Amino acid sequence: MSFDEIRERARLGRYPIRGGGARRAVPTFDDLTFLTASASRYPLEGYREHCATRTVLGAANARDPVVLEIPITIAGMSFGALSAPAKEALGRAASEVGTATTTGDGGMTPEERMSSKTLVYQCLPSRYGFNPDDLRAADAIEVVLGQGAKPGGGGMLMGQKLGPRVAAMRTLPEGIDQRSACRHPDWTGPDDLRIKIEELREATDWRVPVFVKIGATRVYHDVRLAATAGADVVVVDGMQGGTGATQDVFIEHTGIPTLAAVRLAADALADFPDVALIVSGGIRSGADVAKALALGADAVSIGMAALVALGCNDTVHDFGPASYADLGTTAGNCVACHTGGCPVGIATQSPGLQARLDPVRGAERVANYLRAITMETTMLARACGKADVHHLEPEDLVALTVEAAAMARVPLAGTEWIPGR
Amino acid sequence: MDIDLSTTTVRTANATLRALPPGATARLTNPAGRHNLAVGLTEEITVEIDGTAGYYVGGLSKNATVLVHGTTGWGAGENLMSGLIRVDGDASQSLAASAHGGTIVVRGDASLRAGISLKGATVLVAGNVGDHCGFMAQAGTILVGGDAGRGLGDSLYEAVIYVAGRIKDLGADARVEELAESDVELVARLAKQHGFDHIDPENVTRVASARQLYHWGTP
Amino acid sequence: MCGITALQLRDPGLRPRLGALMAAMMAQVAERGPDSAGITIYPEIAVLKGVGHPAVLATEWRLHEISGTQAVAHTRMATESAITAAHCHPFVVGDGLSLVHNGSFANHATIRRELLARGVAFDSDNDSEVAARFLAYRLDSGDDLEKALRLLCERFDGFYTLAVQTPDAFAVVRDVIACKPAIIAETPGWVAMASEYRALAVLPGIEAARVYEPEPEEVYLWTST
Ligand SMILES: Cc1cc2nc3c(=O)[nH]c(=O)nc-3n(C[C@H](O)[C@H](O)[C@H](O)COP(=O)(O)O)c2cc1C
Ligand code: SF4
Repeated sequence: MSFDEIRERARLGRYPIRGGGARRAVPTFDDLTFLTASASRYPLEGYREHCATRTVLGAANARDPVVLEIPITIAGMSFGALSAPAKEALGRAASEVGTATTTGDGGMTPEERMSSKTLVYQCLPSRYGFNPDDLRAADAIEVVLGQGAKPGGGGMLMGQKLGPRVAAMRTLPEGIDQRSACRHPDWTGPDDLRIKIEELREATDWRVPVFVKIGATRVYHDVRLAATAGADVVVVDGMQGGTGATQDVFIEHTGIPTLAAVRLAADALADFPDVALIVSGGIRSGADVAKALALGADAVSIGMAALVALGCNDTVHDFGPASYADLGTTAGNCVACHTGGCPVGIATQSPGLQARLDPVRGAERVANYLRAITMETTMLARACGKADVHHLEPEDLVALTVEAAAMARVPLAGTEWIPGR
Repeated sequence: MDIDLSTTTVRTANATLRALPPGATARLTNPAGRHNLAVGLTEEITVEIDGTAGYYVGGLSKNATVLVHGTTGWGAGENLMSGLIRVDGDASQSLAASAHGGTIVVRGDASLRAGISLKGATVLVAGNVGDHCGFMAQAGTILVGGDAGRGLGDSLYEAVIYVAGRIKDLGADARVEELAESDVELVARLAKQHGFDHIDPENVTRVASARQLYHWGTP
Repeated sequence: MCGITALQLRDPGLRPRLGALMAAMMAQVAERGPDSAGITIYPEIAVLKGVGHPAVLATEWRLHEISGTQAVAHTRMATESAITAAHCHPFVVGDGLSLVHNGSFANHATIRRELLARGVAFDSDNDSEVAARFLAYRLDSGDDLEKALRLLCERFDGFYTLAVQTPDAFAVVRDVIACKPAIIAETPGWVAMASEYRALAVLPGIEAARVYEPEPEEVYLWTST
């Protein structure tokens, strides 16, 4: 810990809180590279030869499975952490490219339901805003056990962001510092989760799939248990995963990197062919998507990257007052989502700041970004000779570092060596 | 209408209940502790359960009346929006968890964490409640006719708890407050409505949030 | 994570039906633990364990033909250790002490090391075995079962509902937060404990039984007759 960080604690008398994901260096998908085709394997042509991206989730139990045109969804980010125009923009963008968005710790807004064609409804320990009408209006249910940024911890929303609408949706007094529960109120453990999942299916007439989201810690066991409890889809969020507001110590010192989590999760699901795997935490590029799929994910989810596409940390506007400087930061380094003072109108509930975000133009940027990284994903898949991005496999990858080779269990480049094997 | 659960699956039974028109009555026989009975109801129907129900009886429902002539498992009436759940026997843990509205009545005792994360419903327990009753309860009313266990009202928000008997101890940020006339009126009305004759409305303890944890992070 | 069932018979007339009653109870909590199952039957201390669905195992073991005075059983959903017969509960240690556990301990690795240092040997890497060995160690050191269970509550962190039987007693205890379910029923003919009521519903005379939930960190103990 730096001296500045010690001084910060000395001043506050409590832990510092912030948004964003882990900033420490951990092994990532960047430490892997693809063995694309040449003589022993043959590549597919860029535009004419089709490379499928369609992804179907939850077909085994649900009458209406989730059908995604691209294997990239927008992760759960609450209305409360995000502004209404930000939620709307994400919904519009996802609908335009044929993918899903996810509610968050605060319930579903009508704007969100309207703008997003495929909407995943989170059931969190807090149950803020959770109700059977919205449940039945959803296209999938996601029972959240934890997040990569804070596995084992509950949500937070600082008072500045608990405006009248957010507070009313969460049944909380306006302006208080919200502390959400870390365990569900009516079950603990996979044996009881099984009964809970059945209840959710009963209340929705077995129409939609049930996802279970976990923060990546004891991944192998947790994923197996989620599948045994009846999940159609397990979402594994690695330690780099973003957050709206969490104790810094949680963000930096808990969980395992997404790179290590994917392979463990895929192993855990080997006995569950009907259960799909979504991976999140630090996914930024088409290369990240392709590598996650190769290591066993059926789809990925993005949080921070979607916000950046929307305008997070942007410098293009001249904001005058209420700028990055007022948050003690600069464009490009901002993780001040918890303050509610977001200069670009994304992570705020202030009407003035929200007005800075145009949901239609924002949606266009996010849709473009999703299209771009999908193109990158298919490009890499084609170069590996695949007519479907889901045909990527671990054998298409090698590692550039010993750490990445050990975690992803692919050979170090130029060798046959997988550390520990 | 009678539905015999020894020959009908819970899934079929629930689908039948959900198809009933407003005003209809149904009786579930031989529940034998089965889970998820009468969940997700939407219409003004009455469901009687002849015996012991398992987890989440009446959960995620609105408008309906669910009468359990027996005891219940975890989370009876969880996330209830409106209507009535009445349990003649004891209720297990997490009674009325996160319930937004309506009334949940238990004529026996309720186990741990009754009214956890309560979001507006009215919870009445004629007998005793276990530890951590009203844990993190956000809104609504809990009336306990007997004694309360440890950690009563831990991390309370705006929900209010009334206890007629003894309180083992209070949870973090919970405090005893003076009874106002409006409290006595409310308790008297609820007790009368549900036949809790043993409660003396003038002699209950009001527990509410001390609100010391409301602002722990804002600089 | 799992389903627990335990039964102690007070009415000798029921003894020929012990196995059948246990089989019926286990079938009701099979969904809580579909991987594997195990049971100890007293007074012979017959231990049966296997991998597979509890209902199939009960038939394989011809459980319904077995008589006895008391039994404790477990259906398992493996959390962190492997799905093998060796990892099945009950963990039977010392002088015929059987323990089943629902939940998961948070500091069992340290306690395992402490016991190893005192010469205690283990059969598996299962966290629940640590609790069983701890109790046997305390009984060996002269504590009675009630005292040993109280010490367990002091020493073990995490979530647990435990059912324990010895040749002359049956006990139930759960942790202070009590996040794992437990329900007890008593009649003049028997005392039973299970994870869910539906397992008790199969017992004769359940309509008239006293049914209650064990309080957190309270030791419930019944001696064999
Ligand atoms: C502003 C913000 C708010 C979030 N809110 C929630 C939430 O309400 N529920 C949840 O499960 N995850 C939440 N997350 C985590 C995301 O769902 C996702 O796991 C994470 O952002 C993925 O990592 P990435 O940001 O590196 O893509 C939030 C993340 C951010 C950035
Ligand atoms: S610019 Fe806004 S959304 Fe981006 S990190 Fe800063 S506060 Fe959060």
